[in-house]
Amino acid sequence: MHIVKQLMAIPGVIAAGEYAYRGDRFSYQGALTDEFARMASILCRANTLSVNMQSEIFDSFAENCGCRPVQGWIVRGANVTVCAVGNYFSFIENREDLLNDVMTIMRAKVGDVQDDLLANLYARLGGDTREALY
Amino acid sequence: MDLQKLMDLPGALAAFTYTDKGDLQSHVLREGTEITAQMLDLLTRSCVANLAIASMEARGWEALTGQGGFQPLKGFSVVGLEWSVVVNGNAGVVVKNRDADYEAAFQALQAA
Repeated sequence: MHIVKQLMAIPGVIAAGEYAYRGDRFSYQGALTDEFARMASILCRANTLSVNMQSEIFDSFAENCGCRPVQGWIVRGANVTVCAVGNYFSFIENREDLLNDVMTIMRAKVGDVQDDLLANLYARLGGDTREALY
Repeated sequence: MDLQKLMDLPGALAAFTYTDKGDLQSHVLREGTEITAQMLDLLTRSCVANLAIASMEARGWEALTGQGGFQPLKGFSVVGLEWSVVVNGNAGVVVKNRDADYEAAFQALQAA
């Protein structure tokens, strides 16, 4: 089953989708409007880039320390939590055990994010982004 | 802050507190872990930055969409390849991904 459908089948998952990973494409299911999903996609992409930048700096201080490449991030709100793993995101309610279940499913379905994440995220810049980055 | 309580979380490798500016204040390391105080000192600075950014995003999201439930922020976590760091307020814990209980970590930090 596709990861978004699988996540949306879980009670307490408000919305889930694929954010703009290689450019402007995004898709989603759940209680978001198209505009809100677009905003969520931009937010997820920005946060993913930010934490990856941090992990690159971190790795330069402590090589192979186990932080890089970043697999995802979680923002815990008062009643709602936003999770991102790879190029997928989900908005979930703060219900007991839901966050752990969602993270387990997302990590299992997305698999380990590889080192090419930044190259893919910057692909829209054109040229050889891998060469420019590394 | 009782760092030992944070170290009791499943898979905990390190627990720490930091100032509002991100300076490492106190820490406990699991024996045998490769994480060092120097690593934590860098990590705490990113924790402050990430919490500030997430707080701004939560505020902006609520204002723009009219949706509630994000504020006040209860924490932020970065999931690395082998371990995750979970932070809230001025404290955080590093946990092994394979044993990580994110909910318990957020709750422990909230209660602390």
